[in-house]
Amino acid sequence: MSSPAVEVDNLTKIFRLSLRRDYLVAVQNLSFTVGEGEIYGLIGPNGSGKSTTMKVILGLMKPTRGTTSIFGLDSRDVRSRHRVGFLPENPYFYKHLSGRETLYFYGKLCGLKKRDLKARSAELLALVDLEDAADRRLSGYSKGMLQRIGLAQAIIQRPQLVILDEPTAGVDPSGSRKIRDLILKLKEDRVAVILCSHLLEQVQEVCDRVAIMQEGKMLKEGALDELIAVEDEVELVMKNLPPGLQSQIENLVRDDPDAQLVRSGHPRTTLERLFLSETEKGQQGEGKAS
Amino acid sequence: MSAAIPEYRPPLFSAQRVWTLATSTFTQLVRMKTFYFLAVFAVLVIAASNLNLLYTPVQQLKVIRETSLGAMSIFSWLFAISATAVLIPRDLEDRTLYTILSKPVPRLEYLVGKLLGVLLVIGVALALMYAFFSLILFFQEYSIISSEMSRMSQNPRYSLEDRATEAALISAYGPDLNLLYGVLAVFLKSAVLATVAMLISTFASSSLFTIIITTVIFLIGHFHKMAADFWVAEQQGALITRILGKVLVLVIPDFQIFNISDSISGGQSVAFLVIAQMSALALMYVIIFTIASWFLFSDKEF
Repeated sequence: MSSPAVEVDNLTKIFRLSLRRDYLVAVQNLSFTVGEGEIYGLIGPNGSGKSTTMKVILGLMKPTRGTTSIFGLDSRDVRSRHRVGFLPENPYFYKHLSGRETLYFYGKLCGLKKRDLKARSAELLALVDLEDAADRRLSGYSKGMLQRIGLAQAIIQRPQLVILDEPTAGVDPSGSRKIRDLILKLKEDRVAVILCSHLLEQVQEVCDRVAIMQEGKMLKEGALDELIAVEDEVELVMKNLPPGLQSQIENLVRDDPDAQLVRSGHPRTTLERLFLSETEKGQQGEGKAS
Repeated sequence: MSAAIPEYRPPLFSAQRVWTLATSTFTQLVRMKTFYFLAVFAVLVIAASNLNLLYTPVQQLKVIRETSLGAMSIFSWLFAISATAVLIPRDLEDRTLYTILSKPVPRLEYLVGKLLGVLLVIGVALALMYAFFSLILFFQEYSIISSEMSRMSQNPRYSLEDRATEAALISAYGPDLNLLYGVLAVFLKSAVLATVAMLISTFASSSLFTIIITTVIFLIGHFHKMAADFWVAEQQGALITRILGKVLVLVIPDFQIFNISDSISGGQSVAFLVIAQMSALALMYVIIFTIASWFLFSDKEF
């Protein structure tokens, strides 16, 4: 049986503050596993230890205690990084390079050959919708474009694990939607993803399992559906209800001594969905007018 | 059961990755308009060759050699210190370092790639300056010899032998192999200096700190012999002071050994053996400081 994509075992990371005997426990006895093709959400308030955990997994920091491994290889082993792609929060790549040159640069670092690199870069530029800006220098890229080229560089060598730290921070809703779709595409390709985000709605949309961290400790971890299910409530969503049927159902519930009707009414869409549908309509209208 | 991922065994040290980092650093520095200095250099050399002071023909060529080698040295030292001092902190500040080190890039390769990129810029800039300066020197030498020969041929006091001696004397200050040795010495000195700056930047808290400390080491390195005589021979004072003095002499490179440009500007020849020894010593310094940088950088947390 193959090793899990990520295995964090009893990880503790302690930082020494200045020369005094002050210490900060950033992560404490943290353990979790991410399986192949699984999207794992790491959520928690600022300073909860999410970024430190990611850095230890990537070998940018050493654990004080415990171990982290990627597909069975210790994170400190440089070979483990061949199977990982990483997009840091607010990435600033080399501004003197164009989008295409950036992908070439990271691809060469991963050992891709020239021929494969050219085809792979073209494929990724199309995937992240940056074909038109491929030869423009990154200094002229918007925040959303930088995030998308960042995601492309993270998957240039076809990694089996991708770690994303706030991939949609500062990106507009349609850009954010594109990144979300890319994450779902990775899942289709059986790529494991660790997603760290403050946008809980997005985490809920894409993640299979979620860990909630606070002050370096794991508060709760498990399958998303199980975690967010309200055990003692049932939701019925009906369409094209004939007149009177709703009041009949409500009366049935009221007649039962134990059951209680919590709420009824029209379900609401999200602001994101409304924004996207309206802007799409606007674009279609402009297209027709022109 | 999930499919097993084939075991990947990347090479311990990949020249391709180092070259990728070096060329990227080269492009980065070139696109920072570094080569604008070449225009300043060209103006300096042309100005020096057109100075209409009461120089003898030999002095005129000597001024071009001194000005050019001096400008090349200053450019190389300044560039070696400032460019190397900012490269790693900038990568860290921009988080580019995270994306590079999260790829299968060993930290030694990152350091060597960055250093090689700086040395490539210095090397290319020195080669271009050398080519331009040799061309100007060649034309000046030709023009001076022609005018001198014409002047001497009109005077019956000068024999053919006198004219040949004068031409040979002027030619000794024209473009020659020694000039190339002088440029090589400038490059080697800059290479050692850049490696020192890289070592400091692996633990420095800011680029300014790196620049100041590297400059201090550079200055002390020019008085290495004097410092060695003073510190190593020191028998008085506290033990710790004496030990510290000896360690400093061992740690700080002797930059004075690379100072051969004065002799070369003065038309003196430099033996190949001297250049070979100088190159070997520079290589030794570069290797030692790179290993020390790696030692410090490999444990660094980001």
